[in-house]
Amino acid sequence: MTVRLEAVSFRYPTAGVDALRDVTLEFAPGGVHLVTGRLGAGCSTLLLAIAGLAPHVTGGTRLGSVITLGQDPATEEGRGAVAGRVGLLLPTPWTQLSGMAHTVAEEVAFGPANLGWERERIRGAVREALRLVDLEDLAGRDPGTLSGGELQRVIFAAVAAMDPDIYLLDEPAMELDPEAAGAMYRFLPALARRKTVILATTDLDRAVLVAGRVVLLDAGHVIDDGDPASVLGALRAVEAGATTTVARIAQRAGAQSPLPLTVPAAVARFAR
Amino acid sequence: MTLGYLPGSGLLHRSHPLTTATLAAVVSVLAFLLPGPAGPGMLVLALCVIAVAAGMRRVLLTSAAFSAPFWAFLILIHGVIGGDFATAAALAGRITAILTVFLLLLGSVHPGRLVDAMLQRGLPFGLAYLLAATLQAVPQLQQRAAAILAAQRCRGLRVGGSLWRRARAVVPLAVPLVLGALAEVDERALALETRGAGSETRRTALEPPLDRPGDRAARWLLLATVVGAAVWRLLT
Repeated sequence: MTVRLEAVSFRYPTAGVDALRDVTLEFAPGGVHLVTGRLGAGCSTLLLAIAGLAPHVTGGTRLGSVITLGQDPATEEGRGAVAGRVGLLLPTPWTQLSGMAHTVAEEVAFGPANLGWERERIRGAVREALRLVDLEDLAGRDPGTLSGGELQRVIFAAVAAMDPDIYLLDEPAMELDPEAAGAMYRFLPALARRKTVILATTDLDRAVLVAGRVVLLDAGHVIDDGDPASVLGALRAVEAGATTTVARIAQRAGAQSPLPLTVPAAVARFAR
Repeated sequence: MTLGYLPGSGLLHRSHPLTTATLAAVVSVLAFLLPGPAGPGMLVLALCVIAVAAGMRRVLLTSAAFSAPFWAFLILIHGVIGGDFATAAALAGRITAILTVFLLLLGSVHPGRLVDAMLQRGLPFGLAYLLAATLQAVPQLQQRAAAILAAQRCRGLRVGGSLWRRARAVVPLAVPLVLGALAEVDERALALETRGAGSETRRTALEPPLDRPGDRAARWLLLATVVGAAVWRLLT
């Protein structure tokens, strides 16, 4: 297993309730694993726990066991072992800038340089990562002059340049326009053939098209786990505020579960 | 007015980052060691020459804009009310010299090069990053303040007019600025950690700054100047 969580509960330092409650999950290598739920369900905290950032950076108390790539990432030894092997993309791009780069290429090179790679390898990784997000033309631009969407793609490139084994994507398309958001989601299945992608989002209309598995959280607890059709098509997902627009419309129209999640699925269902 | 790094290839841009940092530290000490108003005045003059030679005239305008309120305030308090224009000029000169040299540092030293230079000297990454990020924070806060100001004006905040009205307008600007900056700290820490900033591996310098003999000589000369000025002040 790439990631294994066993009976994990987590509480932030100043919070009165647990952000995660008794979570037991496994993530196999490869594939797009979608983690969703209404806002505050604990999806982002789950990603931080997998990366070891909760509690290492956030503070707080964690109970249970998290094993990422064979190590507990919250320990000193585990952090060293997973450094650069777990990439995290947060929703707001400008808070993820290193503050040390005057060009996009330097920003992308920040992570590989921190890992002590050879300069030639860094240059190659930067070129490849910028090509991946189609931003080669902006390599010389000051990151501070880019739009939110361009900046988010730069940060994605910065994560990709480190060639992590696990991509933790927290609302990756929040700052992107619809076309760029669609492009990012379309790119994920190809990425997931080589890497493990754990995607936390409420943008389910797009995410459902690429996810092979859905973990549904409510108030920090896993309430369902399985393939998208069975999890997001269930009435429980509608009640938890986590399903697609098509499924919500179908439910209001009186359809029974499993609800269709996409327009083609709805057409097929109602055409019968 | 730009407070951040200004791309260029002038004298200061070519210098080793620690040479410019030493210049900033030395000028800050000399501003207080040298008797005013002549000493700080000479420092400001010297910095003007350096700025022009380094192709950074814009920094002088920024410095003048930031120094002007201090000059006005000090001349009013010490000069007009206290009758001591020399003290007013000395204090204002010190502030102008320190402001100017730090603006030159900010404008000519790329933060990445500064970190690389400090790492070359064996400083831990965390400390080097903290110093460089502090310099970078100024332009970032400036950009954020401009955005907040624009948003608040759209919502009817009036920032012009009497001194009292301007003072009152500071609160709706400062509160979101400070709170927003504090909120960003958490996310930035998360992002930096996953991008290897806490890694124990030695960071690769992308373009390691060259420490030429001229740089080393300049640093020794600057340090000798401080020592010389201190000895002179003790003896006189």
